[in-house]
Amino acid sequence: MSAQTGIASIPPPPPSVRGFSRAKVGFARLLADPNPVWMRELKAAARLQRTPVVLAVTTGMMTLLVCSVGGIAAIDAEPAKVGVWLYHTFFSLAFALVAWMGPAMAATGIAAERSGGTWEALELTGLGAPAIARGKFLGALTYVTLYLVMLAPVGALPFLFGGVTALEVVLAFVVLGGVAILSVTFGLAVSSKFSSPALAILVTLLCSIPTSIAAYVGLGVGLSFVANGLWHGVAAGPPVWLPTAYSRAEFGVEYLTLLVLVPLALVALPAWLFHEITVANMAAPSDDRSTRLRIWTLVAAPFMTATCVTCGVAQKDAGWFIAGVVALMATYLFLGFLFAGEPLAPSRRVEARWTRERAGAGRRFLGPGVMRACTLLLLLIVGSFAALLGAAALTLRVASERDGVLALGGYAAAFLVFLAGFAAWTRARSRSSGVPKVLLLGALFLAVVGPWIAMAIAGIFESTERALLIAAPSPLYAFHLRKVIASGGPDADVAALAGSIAAAAWLVIGFGLFALASARIEQRLAAERAVRANLEGSSGQG
Amino acid sequence: MSALDVTADSGAPASGGAPVSAPPPAISVRHLWHRYGSLDVLRDVSFDVAHGEIFGFIGPNGAGKTTTIRAMATLLEPTAGSVHIDGYDAALDPDEVRKIIGYMPDHAGVYERITVREFLEFFADAYRIPELGVVDAVIELTELAKLSDRLVATLSKGMKQRLQIARTLLHDPKVLVLDEPASDLDPRARIEVRDLLLELRELGKTIFLSSHILTELSDVCTSVGILERGQLVVAGPIGEIAERLAAERGRREPAAPVPPDLAAPLMPPLPAAAEGGAPNFAPEAPPAAVVTPGGAPIPQATRKRLKLRVLGDSQAIVPMLEGGSGVLGVEPGPGGSLSLYYVGGDQYVAEVVRYLVTSGVGLVSVEPERNELERIFLEVTRGDLT
Ligand SMILES: Nc1ncnc2c1ncn2[C@@H]1O[C@H](COP(=O)(O)OP(=O)(O)OP(=O)(O)O)[C@@H](O)[C@H]1O
Ligand SMILES: [Mg+2]
Repeated sequence: MSAQTGIASIPPPPPSVRGFSRAKVGFARLLADPNPVWMRELKAAARLQRTPVVLAVTTGMMTLLVCSVGGIAAIDAEPAKVGVWLYHTFFSLAFALVAWMGPAMAATGIAAERSGGTWEALELTGLGAPAIARGKFLGALTYVTLYLVMLAPVGALPFLFGGVTALEVVLAFVVLGGVAILSVTFGLAVSSKFSSPALAILVTLLCSIPTSIAAYVGLGVGLSFVANGLWHGVAAGPPVWLPTAYSRAEFGVEYLTLLVLVPLALVALPAWLFHEITVANMAAPSDDRSTRLRIWTLVAAPFMTATCVTCGVAQKDAGWFIAGVVALMATYLFLGFLFAGEPLAPSRRVEARWTRERAGAGRRFLGPGVMRACTLLLLLIVGSFAALLGAAALTLRVASERDGVLALGGYAAAFLVFLAGFAAWTRARSRSSGVPKVLLLGALFLAVVGPWIAMAIAGIFESTERALLIAAPSPLYAFHLRKVIASGGPDADVAALAGSIAAAAWLVIGFGLFALASARIEQRLAAERAVRANLEGSSGQG
Repeated sequence: MSALDVTADSGAPASGGAPVSAPPPAISVRHLWHRYGSLDVLRDVSFDVAHGEIFGFIGPNGAGKTTTIRAMATLLEPTAGSVHIDGYDAALDPDEVRKIIGYMPDHAGVYERITVREFLEFFADAYRIPELGVVDAVIELTELAKLSDRLVATLSKGMKQRLQIARTLLHDPKVLVLDEPASDLDPRARIEVRDLLLELRELGKTIFLSSHILTELSDVCTSVGILERGQLVVAGPIGEIAERLAAERGRREPAAPVPPDLAAPLMPPLPAAAEGGAPNFAPEAPPAAVVTPGGAPIPQATRKRLKLRVLGDSQAIVPMLEGGSGVLGVEPGPGGSLSLYYVGGDQYVAEVVRYLVTSGVGLVSVEPERNELERIFLEVTRGDLT
């Protein structure tokens, strides 16, 4: 039930009700029981007197801008051209509005609960972090949607001029909806980390403004040329090409994958990740903050691998496999940072819950604990690279190209194993969860750049080719190695040997650190247990 | 300092979740330790709070009250030790504990841009309370009806505090945990909060409240715990602690034996006066002194003060009281007021009143001084407090 809306609750349907009717009752129950946080946000927002003013001012400015662009364009162009101009102007502005305002709006959400001293009361209601995060998400999204609805009449102007269809305008709003989802979930993820709303807004904007500009230029203007190459109906150059592609591209496998699946994944996976980060940050330190992120990983990493493998196999091109290796490296680097802050082991609270709920080995494996996290990371790294390199070995016909890709992938995988081991080791040795991330970043930087500096110094005394071997420990050397092997030069063997030694060293160090971390963590946990037993046992003498 | 723990057998940990024969206490804290870095904020704190009690948790700033309370409220996992609320472990079974407790943090915030009713409705929804009438019931109980349509932002501090208490009551918790519920409140608001707490106790709630001001809500507490630098100095029902202290004192000062009529200081020294009607309180009764025959001063803890007010001049009745059994001193004041220092219990007070009335004194008011807690506090903390 909802006291806020005054709707009485609908009892759950008896088991005899099945299929569609069951779904109908379920939906009705959902409506009767809206998210309480969302309802409260709406009520508070409705009281905010500046809301209508801000809305009116935004709409007015947007209308003025679009009209002046239209006026300038109309001086010596036919109406259809003006329509296209207006379309791109309006939706570019709307994109900026959503991409900047959405995160800022969401950023206050959780930080304000913390700074306002309402967080603990909310936490103790038992509503749960996921429901609170959903409520905050819906609240911010509603607000952004309100702006979009207010702007809709202005957005409809372009198709009155022609050059774009009504459907394309509607589709552009749908795409904006996707952007809104991403920006709001991102804002919430930042917000969940901070206890000062002002700081949260600042950090969000510092991230979202450059990202959105890069996305606008890269995914908007940049990709429009690629899209134009694939579907000639899509114009090359203007940034708002995606909505027009939906109505102009020929339907087929490429349409389905590139226009439906990829954009969906590009919105869904990050939004899901941001949501899980939000939920994890909201939970108490002794709660389980890991399992949900681990489940995301279990979906995202294989998805990423499958995408890379599919692209490589479909294009039968070494370049695509190299891109795949790079993409996987980026993915696992990110995951390494994500997992470096794990707790040493599940808390007593989590263990107690597992025992109570008779959790199986699988559920426990996905639970908190840096060793579990890094083990999963190792397994995923091995699996992903085996799949990608296996596919490369089977698809690439030219032996030198194939060997080059295999060398690159093998080296990359070995280096990632080292990073996973290093993350576990630093976490095992540090008290806080922030230090390992900084150390990981430092180690990464040193490993990438250090050998090149050494090489540059050595290059003063040695010939360039031999000096290059000194750079072998740097993961960037793997790219050089691939080039040397693919070109089949005279130094290929020497380079391959140096690369193999470096990769093997990374592997050995990685596993060594992993074992050290494991021992160290056992030691620390035993010490903690001893302290607790000692304190609890030393009663009566106090 | 020797911790005086009047709780029963602090060595036996409360059994988690599985009540045996006797129901578990409302709150059971066992060997609670907490460390921030290398700083021991709580050191082996153990006490019990029985059902239906109002437990005052007293200690100076930084003593560790909030830390203890946060461990109770499932918000903090202590370094060692345990807190059980109604048999559930707060660290291990937070979901159950959250259903049982109503927690009000110190300096809790409110959502400002909604009305009082909307505020409560929101929390009712967040607690997933199935009945629609709960909010009305709580508004009535906490007397917020007149404010229910006011914006929370426009409420005064005392009103907000009442709203906070109302919020903690929505899910009908058995145990209320209130961190400094009366801090920053003016005397009137403080009295209102006190009355509300008494009303809640009538409803069967167990109330745990912390305070660094001793007199703040001390007159509502049935039990107290005094915390000093992370250590529990004393805990238990006020009367029991007083008796314990007296006994302790007796053991500690064997050189100056207390005279027989003061050996059990909390017992009324007057024998059942009802039998003959003859006032035991006759001036010819043996005079009592502020010092015992041996010269040892009568401990402060056993000395009590009764504030009287009579018609006319109080000077006139001084001779009637002076020298009566159990009377340690009489001090007339202005406007017919009079302080009577005595040794004895309620029965003794009744006896004094009857004696005065039957002697034709126009008695206007009788007010026993409630300073038991203060005395306990001063005695157990030995001025270590700032
Ligand atoms: N997060 C923290 N990190 C480090 N030390 C802390 C933290 N929280 C509290 N402390 C320290 O723990 C001690 C006890 O704090 P606590 O808040 O429990 O005291 P308190 O009895 O509630 O005091 P007050 O009456 O001021 O509310 C203080 O010395 C405080 O400085
Ligand atoms: Mg405090």
